[in-house]
Amino acid sequence: MFLEARGIIKAFGAFRAVDGADLDVAQGEIIGLIGPNGAGKSTFFNCLAGDAEPTAGTIRFLDRDVTNATPEVHARLGMARTFQVPVTFEDMTVVENVMVGAFLRHHHRAGAMRKAEEVLEFTGLSHLAGSPARSLGTPGRKRLEIARALATEPRLLLLDEALAGLTPAEVRLAIELVRRIKGLGITIVIVEHIMEVILSLAERAVVFHQGKVIAQGAPRAVVDDPAVIAAYLGHHMKRVRM
Amino acid sequence: MKQWPLVLIGFLFIAAWPLLVDDVFLQRVGALVLLAAISASAWNLLGGYAGQVSVGHAVYFGAGAYASLVVYTELGWPPIAGAPVGVAVSMAIAALIGTPTFRLRGHYFSMATIAAAELFRILAANWPLLGAAVGLMGPPVPRTVADLSFLSPIPYHYLFLAVLVVLLTLTWKMQRSRMGYYLAAIRGGDRAARSLGVPVLRYKLYALLLSAGFTSIAGSLYAVMVGFIDPDSALGILISVKLLIIAALGGAGTLFGPLVGAMILIPLEETTNAMFGGGGTGITFIVYGAIILLVARFQPRGVAALWEAITTRRAPRVP
Repeated sequence: MFLEARGIIKAFGAFRAVDGADLDVAQGEIIGLIGPNGAGKSTFFNCLAGDAEPTAGTIRFLDRDVTNATPEVHARLGMARTFQVPVTFEDMTVVENVMVGAFLRHHHRAGAMRKAEEVLEFTGLSHLAGSPARSLGTPGRKRLEIARALATEPRLLLLDEALAGLTPAEVRLAIELVRRIKGLGITIVIVEHIMEVILSLAERAVVFHQGKVIAQGAPRAVVDDPAVIAAYLGHHMKRVRM
Repeated sequence: MKQWPLVLIGFLFIAAWPLLVDDVFLQRVGALVLLAAISASAWNLLGGYAGQVSVGHAVYFGAGAYASLVVYTELGWPPIAGAPVGVAVSMAIAALIGTPTFRLRGHYFSMATIAAAELFRILAANWPLLGAAVGLMGPPVPRTVADLSFLSPIPYHYLFLAVLVVLLTLTWKMQRSRMGYYLAAIRGGDRAARSLGVPVLRYKLYALLLSAGFTSIAGSLYAVMVGFIDPDSALGILISVKLLIIAALGGAGTLFGPLVGAMILIPLEETTNAMFGGGGTGITFIVYGAIILLVARFQPRGVAALWEAITTRRAPRVP
C-alpha cells in the first residue's frame, strides 16, 4: 500500500480529536478528506504529515513506518504538504521560497534555481518570481505553498484546505492546478470542506465526524449518505439535499 | 548585487582610514569599528541569518579573549596563538548550550542564552586560572612581533580588516548556498521549513558553531589589542547586548548590516566615553537604550532596510 494509516488516535488530554481513524491511499489517487469543522480531519492530516505524533496507531508510507518520523523525514521520503493558514517565508521572494523546497533534491544553487523556475512556470507564478512573498494575497500564498511543496519533488502531496478562502474563479483555477499535479503522477490527499471541490476533484471521499471515519467512497454517493448529511447538517435538517 | 561599486568604495575608504587621519584617537576608533564589525557579523550568522536572537554571545567572545591570555600566562605563548584554542572551546560550549536551548523559541531562547552566559561569567570571576575577579594581563612589553603588541592602532586596523574580509566573504558564500536559504527559511518559520525537509536543529547548530567560532576570534583579537581582560570586559552581558544592537542597527541578516551598525555605534560610543571620561560608561547604556528604542520603533530591519527602501523607490518599477 502506498499510504496506510491504521487505528490513529490523537488525544489532547481526555479529548480524542482523532479516535481510531483508518485510511488507505493507493498511488495516483486523489482522496478528499471531508467533514464538518472540528471533525478531526486536520489533526488526522497533521499526523499523516508528521507534524503531530499520534497517541496510538501506525502510519506506513511506501512500506516504511513513519508513525513517529519527523516532518523532515517525511519530506525526504517524498511527502509534501501545504498549511491551512499559509506559512510562506515572508522576507524571501517567491522564487527563493520555492528554492528552499528545491534544495531538498538539488544541493547546488544553480540546480535549485532551475527546479524552482520550472515549478513556478508549472504553477503559473513565474511573473511573480522576484516579488517578496509578503506582497502576495491569500490566493497567491496558497499557490506559492503548493509550488514550494512541489519543488521537493514529492510522490504524495497533502493539501490542507488549499482552496479555502478563494473566490469561485480562483477555486476553478486551483482545481485545474490540482488536476495538472495529478497528471504528473503525484498522489494527492486533500482536506476540504467546500463540497464543490471534493465533488469535482476527488476520486474517493473519506468523511470524518467526531474523530472517526463515518463513510467513504465515491464523492457523489458519499454526500447522499444519510449519516453524512446528518453529520453536516444535524438530524433535524435531514431533508436538505446537497 | 548591484551595489558592488559602492561596497568597493566603502572598503577602500575603510582601508585608507588610518592614513587619512593623523590623530591616534581616530585611528583607534577605526580599529575598534572593525573589531566590532567582526563580532557583530559573527553574531549575525546566528542572530540575523537564522533569526535566533542570542543575548549570550559574550560567552564566545570571552572564550576567545581568555584563551589568548591564558596561553600567555600559563604557557608563555604569544596571545594570538590562543585564538584556535578559543575557537575550539567556544565551539564546545556552543554545542553544549545550543542543543538544549534550540528547543526553545523566540524570547525563551534569548533568555536561556543570557542565563548560560551569566553562568560562565560567574565561573570565570571565581576561577584563579582565569585570574578570577581581577582578570588577566597580556605581555607588558612585546617580546617579539608575534606578541602583536603595538603602540599604534594601525597594525590592528589592517589585521582586523583582513579578518573581517575573510568573514564577510565566507558569509556571502554561505548566504548564496543551500545553508543560506535554509537559515532564511528557519528564520521565516520552523514549521514550514521542516515540512520542506530542512533539518532545522542541525542547521541552527551549524549557524551557532560558525557564529561562536568567529565571535571567539573577535574576542582573541580584542585581548591581543587591549592586553587586559576581566570578567566584565570579556564576558559581561553588555558585550552580548552590544553585538545585538550593532547588528540590529545596521540590519540583522544582511551582509553589511553589522559593519554599517559598527560604523555608527562605535564612534558614538567612543566620543561619549572621551567626552565624559570614566563617568561616561553610564552614558553608553543610555545610548544603547536610545538605539534599541529608535530601531524598534522606526526601522526594525535596520539601516540596511532603510537603504533598500530608498534605492528601490528610486529604481524604475517593473510592470
